[in-house]
Amino acid sequence: MQRLALVASLILLCACNTPHTTATQNSREITDDAGRRVALPQRVDRVISLAPNLTEVVFAVGAGDRLVGRTSYCDYPPEAKAVPEVGDTLHPSLERIISLKPQLVLISTASQLEVFTQQLQNQNIAVFVTDPHDLEGVFRSIEQIGQILGHDEQARLLVQKLRERTNAVEEAVKQKQPVRIFYQLSAEPLYTAGHDAFVTDLMRRAGAISVTADVPGAWPKYSNESALAAKPEAIILPTGGSMGTGNSTVAEALRQSPAVREGRVYKINDDHLVRPGPRAVDGLEEMARALHPDAFKQ
Amino acid sequence: MISTASNVVVVSANRVTLRKTLVSCAVLAVVLLFAIVVMSLIGSERLPARASLCAIASLGTSACGLSRDQFDILFQIRLPRILLAAAVGGSLATAGAGYQALLRNPLAEPYLLGISNGAAVGTMIALIFFGANEWMRPLVAFSGALIATLAVYRLARGRAGATPERLILAGVIVTTFLSSVIVFVTTLMDATRIRSFTFWLLGDLSGTSRALLPVAITVAVAGALVLTLHARSLNLLMLGERDAFDLGVEVGRVRVVVFLVASLLVGSSVAASGSVGYVGLVVPHLARLSLGSDNRISIPAAALGGALFVIVADTIARTIIAPRELPVGAITALIGAPLFIYLLKRA
Amino acid sequence: MLEARKITVSYDHRVAVAAVSVTLKNGEATAIIGPNGAGKSTLLRALNGQIRPSSGTIVLDGEPLERLNRRSISRRIAVVAQEAELRFPVTVLEFILGGRFAWATNAGWGWETDRDLQVAHAVLKETELTELSGRLMNELSGGERQRALMARALATEAPILLLDEPTANLDLSHQATLLSLVRNRCDQQRASALVITHDINLAAQFADNILLMQHGKTIHSGTPAEVLKPHILQEVFDVRVLVDAHPVTGGPRVTPVHETHRQEKGIL
Repeated sequence: MQRLALVASLILLCACNTPHTTATQNSREITDDAGRRVALPQRVDRVISLAPNLTEVVFAVGAGDRLVGRTSYCDYPPEAKAVPEVGDTLHPSLERIISLKPQLVLISTASQLEVFTQQLQNQNIAVFVTDPHDLEGVFRSIEQIGQILGHDEQARLLVQKLRERTNAVEEAVKQKQPVRIFYQLSAEPLYTAGHDAFVTDLMRRAGAISVTADVPGAWPKYSNESALAAKPEAIILPTGGSMGTGNSTVAEALRQSPAVREGRVYKINDDHLVRPGPRAVDGLEEMARALHPDAFKQ
Repeated sequence: MISTASNVVVVSANRVTLRKTLVSCAVLAVVLLFAIVVMSLIGSERLPARASLCAIASLGTSACGLSRDQFDILFQIRLPRILLAAAVGGSLATAGAGYQALLRNPLAEPYLLGISNGAAVGTMIALIFFGANEWMRPLVAFSGALIATLAVYRLARGRAGATPERLILAGVIVTTFLSSVIVFVTTLMDATRIRSFTFWLLGDLSGTSRALLPVAITVAVAGALVLTLHARSLNLLMLGERDAFDLGVEVGRVRVVVFLVASLLVGSSVAASGSVGYVGLVVPHLARLSLGSDNRISIPAAALGGALFVIVADTIARTIIAPRELPVGAITALIGAPLFIYLLKRA
Repeated sequence: MLEARKITVSYDHRVAVAAVSVTLKNGEATAIIGPNGAGKSTLLRALNGQIRPSSGTIVLDGEPLERLNRRSISRRIAVVAQEAELRFPVTVLEFILGGRFAWATNAGWGWETDRDLQVAHAVLKETELTELSGRLMNELSGGERQRALMARALATEAPILLLDEPTANLDLSHQATLLSLVRNRCDQQRASALVITHDINLAAQFADNILLMQHGKTIHSGTPAEVLKPHILQEVFDVRVLVDAHPVTGGPRVTPVHETHRQEKGIL
């Protein structure tokens, strides 16, 4: 009878082991961007980041010394390169992650790492998803990570500064006529930023209308004809960051556009435009200055 | 005597003759021309039909009231793309017919046998090592296709000859091996290139290379012509290499010609537009079903039919979720696979 | 005339044919008999130029075989194989017209001439396939297909016919027809024929010469009467045979004597 009770309680215990880490040694819970309630220890000393933007955020809130692992794409700030790599964003090494004994792993899309998060939780490693789609989301993400790592004050100050800069930009371009722009992710095949792309929000705030803002999806392959017919007034070429020297020429279909004829083709560091992190505000400023130079004459 | 005469009539009734061939090809050519014109009126941007037809009829010399942008869309983007689709479709269907005759197997197809993958690896190598030079792409793609063809041929030849089972197996081995090579090379690329490569691998006709379009068209026409000029030998080859040899076919020479031409056709198509699958399988099959197995008629018919097939598939690919695009290979597979199953059941 | 002088064919250290000589004279039919693995098919393949002998020479109408191009050989030597690979649908007529390839002036994209059709029609009649001319080859029975193979070879109008077990799937009536076709060609058109067969009596009846092979070597060659002797046959086939005179033709008639249980019962 006793044995039966023991077995029964063990079974119940396992059954009750919901996909949350057990709250015994942890004492706070935060809801992440995937709607999951994540239990965390009071103090997080060892954290791994699986996305370049999240690595930047960790360093930006002053907690870079707590980072024990990063992906091979996490290359900013320069200090990040000293942190051990655990693989790339799509297929990081589970073994490597576990051997680094983190308390928390930050990931940017729950869908990508679905199977993976289950295994991490089995190891009692907390997994926190933060996936900002716009600038507000970035600010919230910075605050959350600051909170998790105990750097609330720094995070708050950082967000305040970033908001100030953002507002300054939006104020400056408020009176200006929005510029119709085309964001070229790659020339051949022609890819652009759609409705769900992070940079679409930035473009709006920079005083521009993306001609592809309503196209469903984040990075749609776009028709050459429609690009030609769109006749954008300016073209943004993200290049020079992770893209290296690639994507530095305008696609064939856009060679006759007003943007090219008037020389309004702007090359901006791609990492400033696609990484939902603090540098996105740099990207916002660079775009705004390029599109509305006279709004920023001081 | 009368009975002898009527016997001769019965005897000649279902043969393929020069006249039958010319008539079928003429019909197909007219339909193809019609398709080119009609499909050029369809796209993600609306163009006024009458003005467009007028401009096309004038062969681009007159704008017929189209705006500058509409004219550019029609003549710089749409028509070149349709012509590329025709060249790619014609090439792949002809190559498919050639491989089927050579390997004596109606299931031989450049995509399924991994030859398209060989050409894709070649193109990737050309892009990585000779990036700027456009001419290297079809050249290295051709080499890739040739190597893959040889690999399949050698693997498929057992003691008992290239049975269908051995051929499929050889094709699976070559395809999967080369797919892994492609995946490996892709991982060496940076993340942003991966997306565009994946799209290209599935067939992308949106490339706007000025120089390569004439190459693709020339290769398609020349290749179809050369294979058609060997059609009678291929008819015999199709029924057994040994029998063909006995009846006077220079098997070795014809084999080399078909290998080279088919690989060139596949190489030039893949270099221009990635792997477009099923064309080399479905179109020659349909041609043989409707016109007979005689290569003198089925090869030119396949060439014209292939052009038609890919033009239509590409029109769907570039309009169904406009202004976004789908890879044309996805459409040819979606149409081709069920169509092929249906054809298999009928046979 | 096709003459093979002491040809040897070897593959990977195995000798398939060892110093065999055979001459096919106009108007004569020669049969090759022998146990399986004797090298008969290999010899036939060497004779039509498909396999290169490692030593010896083959001379066709005075010229060495290696010097002749494929088409000119095919116009003079036709092979009737055992079976056809029919992976694609083809009608009987189209199949037979394949035999006219060697005569095409344009081998590439040429079209059949009236003469080609005439020959095809005649050959269809000879092999009794006229009603089946429009049918697909793989709809035919084994025997009908063999006749089609014969018809195709005849359509080449080649004066030398090499046949590899042509009567294997034929019923008695068609066996007779086919061999009399061959015989007629030899007699009336001065063709020569080489027939590989397992049916010794058939060989005895229609062949002028018989070549008996074993292990790649010529055991004996000559007229049927010379070759079909009991001690020779027993040595080669390891079976007791009785050879007597055929009551109708007068030629040798071979009857194997099988050791069966009937002997034990005292019947034999």
